[in-house]
Amino acid sequence: MTQLRCENITVSFGGVVACNNISLEVPTGKIVGLIGPNGAGKTTLFNVLSRFQDHDSGHIYYRDQDIDRKKPHQMVELGMARTFQNINLFGEQSTLDNILIGAHHLIGNPFADMFSLPAARRTERSLVQRANEIAEMLHMQDELDTLVKNLPYGYRKRVELARALASQPELILLDEPVAGCNDEETDELRGIVQRLNRELGITIFLVEHDMSMVMNVCDYIYVINFGSNLADGTPAEVQANADVISAYLGEEHDDAA
Amino acid sequence: MLGQQIMSGLATGSLYALTAVAVVVVFRNTRTINLAQGDFSMMGAFIAIILLKTYGLNYYATIVLCVLAIMALGVLTERLVMRPIADSDWLTLFTATLGVYYILHGVAGWIWGRDTKAFPVTFDPTPVHIFGTVVSHGHLINMGWAAAIGVVLYVFFKYTKQGIAMRAVTDDPETAKLMGIPVRFIVTLTWAMAGFLAAFIGILIAPIIYVAPEMMDEVLIKGYVAAVFGGLYSIPGAIIGALMIGVAENLAGGYLGSHYKTATAFAMIVVLLTFRPQGLFGIQKRREI
Amino acid sequence: MVAAARTSAPIANRQAVAALKARFAQQNWIFAGVLFALLALVPLLPVVEGWMATQAALVIIYILAAQGVSVLTGHTGLVTVGHGGFLAIGAYTSALMSHYLGADLLSGMICGGLMAALIGCLLGLIFLRLAGAFMAIGTLGFAFFIGTIVNNVPIFNGRTGFSLPPNNLFGVIDIGDFGFYYVCLVTLALMTLFMYSLVRSGVGRAFKALRDAEKAAQSSGVNRLFYRTLAFTISAFITGVAGALNGHIVSFVSAEVYADIWYSVDILVAAIVGGSAMLFGPFIGGVFIVMVPFFFEELADFSFILKGIVLIGVLMLAPAGVADVAARPFRAMRQRALAQAGGATAREHGRTGGSPGGAE
Repeated sequence: MTQLRCENITVSFGGVVACNNISLEVPTGKIVGLIGPNGAGKTTLFNVLSRFQDHDSGHIYYRDQDIDRKKPHQMVELGMARTFQNINLFGEQSTLDNILIGAHHLIGNPFADMFSLPAARRTERSLVQRANEIAEMLHMQDELDTLVKNLPYGYRKRVELARALASQPELILLDEPVAGCNDEETDELRGIVQRLNRELGITIFLVEHDMSMVMNVCDYIYVINFGSNLADGTPAEVQANADVISAYLGEEHDDAA
Repeated sequence: MLGQQIMSGLATGSLYALTAVAVVVVFRNTRTINLAQGDFSMMGAFIAIILLKTYGLNYYATIVLCVLAIMALGVLTERLVMRPIADSDWLTLFTATLGVYYILHGVAGWIWGRDTKAFPVTFDPTPVHIFGTVVSHGHLINMGWAAAIGVVLYVFFKYTKQGIAMRAVTDDPETAKLMGIPVRFIVTLTWAMAGFLAAFIGILIAPIIYVAPEMMDEVLIKGYVAAVFGGLYSIPGAIIGALMIGVAENLAGGYLGSHYKTATAFAMIVVLLTFRPQGLFGIQKRREI
Repeated sequence: MVAAARTSAPIANRQAVAALKARFAQQNWIFAGVLFALLALVPLLPVVEGWMATQAALVIIYILAAQGVSVLTGHTGLVTVGHGGFLAIGAYTSALMSHYLGADLLSGMICGGLMAALIGCLLGLIFLRLAGAFMAIGTLGFAFFIGTIVNNVPIFNGRTGFSLPPNNLFGVIDIGDFGFYYVCLVTLALMTLFMYSLVRSGVGRAFKALRDAEKAAQSSGVNRLFYRTLAFTISAFITGVAGALNGHIVSFVSAEVYADIWYSVDILVAAIVGGSAMLFGPFIGGVFIVMVPFFFEELADFSFILKGIVLIGVLMLAPAGVADVAARPFRAMRQRALAQAGGATAREHGRTGGSPGGAE
């Protein structure tokens, strides 16, 4: 079964086409990667899939249900959570509060909640309990009361992940989960991503620049370039693909120039 | 009748336009919504009264002195209040101008009292025939002044070194700083310009309304609304917005009753912000204020 | 490895942290209880006269109004310069009911709050897409709009206004100055209790999430439309109730005071000076904004100048408000205690424990 699928997605800003007829498929229970040179349209596609960006044409299906018209906040109810490339956290609040906001759609009736009625308090207690478990799983239970702005970078990446997990998702979209991390942090995050997939059965779709990360964790990889599908296949197939190599070489060449 | 309403609408609109331009210039260079902009004008009007009445100065000398005084007030505001908190978020900056608003209201009330005063130079109601409509002489003079100031601004931004530097700061403060543009000086200049415009507005509007500490509150709101038409960013947008508001409220005043003038401006801002929150001529880039 | 060292904090530590948090919460309750008990006892002192109670009631009204602003500006990050409009709506609704129907204070307050909430809900929907400075200008325009209405629509009687019968409640014809003070105090206690519950609830979290990181909030399932409108509605309700009381305190309403922007400005300043994201902030701000003019009654203009100077000073020295600075030592103390109990690193810890008065 496919968890998430998109067909012929096209997005343009003014005259610039950011995504041109992109199609891809994320099978349930797998880790799928999306790579491509800078400016290939990866982030735009991610925003389309999480419904922050409207697409001009094409369709998105979540578990074969058409979600073209969904609002961003409706995605977690379906079971899709996401993280952001530039860490998008509530810096003035504690790790615990940041995790709890991820569980927002589980608070029940907001009117009962804001008056702290007994039912709401029970829900709150169970959410805090779950947040504790998630923190433990990500090895950050000691930092639950720390303000996020005081945490080191690698930790904040994990808080993002924890927040996504708190919504009890079936699928998580990770936008460059290890960007800016050092080797040690990268190793740890890679381990966490693999555990989420194996132990909790969460489907993962990730955009990443760090090739070692992508090639090691992904079951399947899509490559896009200039807003279009370039290639897809297993890590080994993608690594051997001549188009992919030349696309990346081209980028290096540009960088050098 | 209709042409008449439109003409006098344009006349009031041209004064809103000057306020709106001042609001836009300050906002785009300093991220500050200047709530004290109207009070700069109010101080200008009071100073003008003193110069005209007590010292018997002539009108043009009064204008020159007034403009200098209010420019100094603008610079003083920047130095004493805004500069120490220049790195704060926009709410802090905005609230600080609220503090200036309080202080100037208090100072004016303290020195000159709360009663409304008449401006000694009266508004010349002599009718002038133009484009088949009848406009009062005073209205024409105001429009002339506003147009002249508009031209001065245009020349300043287009041809002078400081004007071009100011635009560079508007577009990209970081790059401007790297290119060696003295950003601090430009910010000071921005506030001086706010004072320059404010002084003119005060002197030109005083004969039409009255002089009192709260005289500019309503004009300022309309200046804001006009500035929003330009997305708080575009000067031509603000001017067009101001003229539209002037005309619209005059039409509403003429056909529905004079009480509906303020409501018109609010209705326009609601419609505008509902359909184009970034303003009629706004650009998306500046939305992250 | 770093991770290995952190894997499991002893369970005893976490229990200690939980116990500490419970104790902090208890301290907050005791602080608030003592504060309100003192406020309730004040009128019983023999030296306190009726006018003093009225002055104190005015302070409470401003605290309530600033609480309304703080829901929107402090907790949800939407700056409002238009809450004078909601104050006017509350005042006129209750005044009209009292004048024409002889309604009592309680029903006036409830209807005043509900009417303001209704308009607030509509305004929240109209201004749905606005942010930052645009929101400030939009709300300022709203206050002016309400001012125009009460000035010109005949039923509101313009600048002549109309006077209200003595404040009656539960069949008592005139509850007097002290009775009115207690009505205000009870209202404040209930609203503060509600605010305490709100800021710690999931709804309060959603508000703050929209304030701090809108996209992350939405991707976590926070419906921007719903929660923004809800914040507007709650905020308008609280300020509307304050408005109803504000009409009854002088038994008179007129466009003379409700048509200009001073109320809007004063309420916003009260919230910001006190600390708009702190539960205790509006208390400090309310005292400030009412008592400065009171002490300089002869020199009304000087009180304006003083307000301005204090406001600018607070922005320079304590941008998060006086309450934030006042709570700092307590917060630091609690953080140290938490860190000790948790056995965690010496890194500065969060404010989960809160501070006195439930300062969030």
